[in-house]
Amino acid sequence: MSMLKIKIAAPAGFGIMSMGPLLAKVLKRYGFYVMGYPEYPSLIRGGYNSYLLMISDEPVYSPYEKTDILLTYSKLSFDKEDLKSDTIVIADFEKLRVDKSNLNCKVYDIPFAKTVKEEGLPDIVQNIIGIAYLCKGMGIDISVLKEVLKGALSDKVLEVNYKAAECGYRLCTEHFVNVEWEKRDLNEHIIMTGNEVAATSAITAGVNFYSTYPMTPASTVLHFLAKYAKDYNIIVKHTEDEIAGITMAIGAAYAGARAMTGTSGGGFSLMVEGLGLAAITETPLVLFISQRPGPATGMPTWQEQADLRFVLHASQDEFVRAVFTPGDLKELFYAVFDAFNIAEKYQIPVFVLSDKYLSESIFMEDGFKTEGLKIDRGYIFEGDKSDPMNLFPRYKEYKDGIPKRAFPGTPGGIHKTPSNEHDEYGFVSDDAFIRKEQQERRFRKLENLVKEMPTPLLYGDETADITFVSWGSTKTVLFEAMKYEKNFNFIHFPSIYPIDWKSTKGLLETRKKLILIENNFTGQLGGIIAENTGVFIEDKFLKYDGRPFFVEEVLNILKRVS
Amino acid sequence: MKPMELNTNKKPVWCPGCGNYAIWNALKGAIAELGLNPWEVVTVSGIGCSGKMVNYIKCYGFHSLHGRVIPVATGVKLANKNLTVIANGGDGDGYGMGLGHFIHAMRRNVDITYIVHNNRTYGLTTGQASPTTLKGVVTKSTPEGVIDEPVNPIVYALSAGATFIARGYSGESELLKELIKEGINHKGFALIDVLQPCVSFAKEFSYDFYDNRVYKLDDNYDFTSKENAYKIAYEEDRFALGIIYKDISKPSYEEQHSVLKDKALVEREVRVRDISNILSAYK
Repeated sequence: MSMLKIKIAAPAGFGIMSMGPLLAKVLKRYGFYVMGYPEYPSLIRGGYNSYLLMISDEPVYSPYEKTDILLTYSKLSFDKEDLKSDTIVIADFEKLRVDKSNLNCKVYDIPFAKTVKEEGLPDIVQNIIGIAYLCKGMGIDISVLKEVLKGALSDKVLEVNYKAAECGYRLCTEHFVNVEWEKRDLNEHIIMTGNEVAATSAITAGVNFYSTYPMTPASTVLHFLAKYAKDYNIIVKHTEDEIAGITMAIGAAYAGARAMTGTSGGGFSLMVEGLGLAAITETPLVLFISQRPGPATGMPTWQEQADLRFVLHASQDEFVRAVFTPGDLKELFYAVFDAFNIAEKYQIPVFVLSDKYLSESIFMEDGFKTEGLKIDRGYIFEGDKSDPMNLFPRYKEYKDGIPKRAFPGTPGGIHKTPSNEHDEYGFVSDDAFIRKEQQERRFRKLENLVKEMPTPLLYGDETADITFVSWGSTKTVLFEAMKYEKNFNFIHFPSIYPIDWKSTKGLLETRKKLILIENNFTGQLGGIIAENTGVFIEDKFLKYDGRPFFVEEVLNILKRVS
Repeated sequence: MKPMELNTNKKPVWCPGCGNYAIWNALKGAIAELGLNPWEVVTVSGIGCSGKMVNYIKCYGFHSLHGRVIPVATGVKLANKNLTVIANGGDGDGYGMGLGHFIHAMRRNVDITYIVHNNRTYGLTTGQASPTTLKGVVTKSTPEGVIDEPVNPIVYALSAGATFIARGYSGESELLKELIKEGINHKGFALIDVLQPCVSFAKEFSYDFYDNRVYKLDDNYDFTSKENAYKIAYEEDRFALGIIYKDISKPSYEEQHSVLKDKALVEREVRVRDISNILSAYK
């Protein structure tokens, strides 16, 4: 395996968030696997943005701590980055006013600022010059870069960027890094962020209503769906707040739309009353929640997985919900697709829980198979024109705890849909017998639902001494670590509720040594496992500094415990 | 269809003399006289005495959360623009918790009719001050009298760009019925603020209080003038009844939304969509 880690850094506003994916695409087209991890503060201009790209001749799943090449436009890099003697630093030292003589790393001093001035180019294209410089240094033909630029930019700015690319190639006079690796035909692979995949999956699943209020790191789902709304006949509504976002989606779903909302923990805090409304009215709803650190505003642009308990328990009282916790793009794609079917089939709220790292990093996949995918809208009353004024028993069990839905407009389907407890027709009732009957009926849905949820899986050598226990996006880093260390395996939870705890208990109990790995302070999955299986995982590897796990950290843990 | 046929088998649990009975009758009358198919009508309500309305009218009914009538009703209408969507809420519901939604709904001009049962009190929670309780009134939550300025829904609606603003009174059921009919026929958001006595908890705002202060706008009143409307809205000692403002020049939200131009959203089949062209942009 060959591996190269390139970081591009600049103040916000310099286009780093587009440069990372752009370079990644160039490398993919050239024949290398790529994974990209962005870091940025909650600022529009200034601050310190970075995009870390992992490049390899075999699939690469997660970020590393150590950078091999740093292309920087920010003086802050020299404080923030851990520059080793073999780190290559590409920067305009004169412009940044950094004394390169004191640096203990390999330095390439490139006059980006002077070049754009001389060539009469806009300041911003220094970023393309840098990318081009890197490409030449790796021996990538300029035609690959130009082709990607053509796909990414409008005709209006294409010429300027071509010229910038040529400048970068001219400035670079040597192959400063050896990437004479085996190349693959990766043309059919896609390179996407988790949020792009979640939105694409929702489109596949026939979503036609998405209403929410923007909140990092979930906002790009809103942007993506808004962009494609016209092509696919989707109503995408940015509402006045999250409460309106979820309740509008509930109104739409009640009327027959395939509805979804999305937010982060803070927005979901507002949505919780709507969650209960969806539950008691048995209105199907998909909720895409992308986690970030901190209660209240926290750290808007950073990573944490600490909302698991929150989505499992949010709202007063008890009701059936489903919670998917996908670990990679493929799982995310199918989780969102299935979430719609499960929501409509069981008439419950369904969560897909992502996080900043999965939502905003870019990963490669060999596409998503959509053949064989089926829409299941569940039990729907088709109407009775002969008796259009009939009162319909909307909340009467039809099968396995599930009633039939009747969309407004359906003759013979008239019923009530209250936020109160209610009888079979939806009339408000606080009768003890009716309450008990309705609650028991709703919970009867669990029996079949649990069979439809993905179960925890063991990855790696079954006989390994150490087993990490993980959920959500930490799956990627464990996969990456497995390239270096074989004497561990891991159990990953792609969904957490409802799941078959009996078989899960068996899976956990037959391991030699369990270590919990989670991006939170208290080890939430560990608590849930203990509560449901009695298995108490004493060893915990928890990280809560706003960053995802890096491969080196997992390897260090393995060294410590083995 | 006769209004009676719109009764469900549930008997209203409002207090004897409650203004809600008149609103109930006016609403049933309006639906019946317009000849609407009840299965194509959705009433959406919030919480409170007004919220119970959905239980007593035989059409589809969504009894939502306190203050959330408007977004739920908006979602229903956007999903199926063929439905007649009638929202019912109280003053606490719509002018308190739901005030933000109320203002934004008028910006959007979604074609729903919003009837606010404005009794200037929190009835179901036994008589605390509401956003429209007038200054000085002593209630359980304001033992020294209200010191907040009351919400003026007509002024708020005018400033938010509402295209249909009317005021009704539950002591004038016939007029109220006509206003509801006009509101339903209006293509866009229609606010009908209904002065409604709460006989149990808002003794200050009794039938006598209103009977002495309401007057009907005459036929010469020009409701297309915003200036006229503001004058009426700011009247403090008397309350005009009728259509205070109407603007038919603005398109409804549904008329402007590209996705809703030809068909209602729910008329399009939900099927697995081809995403190959999206994915090819990421290759």
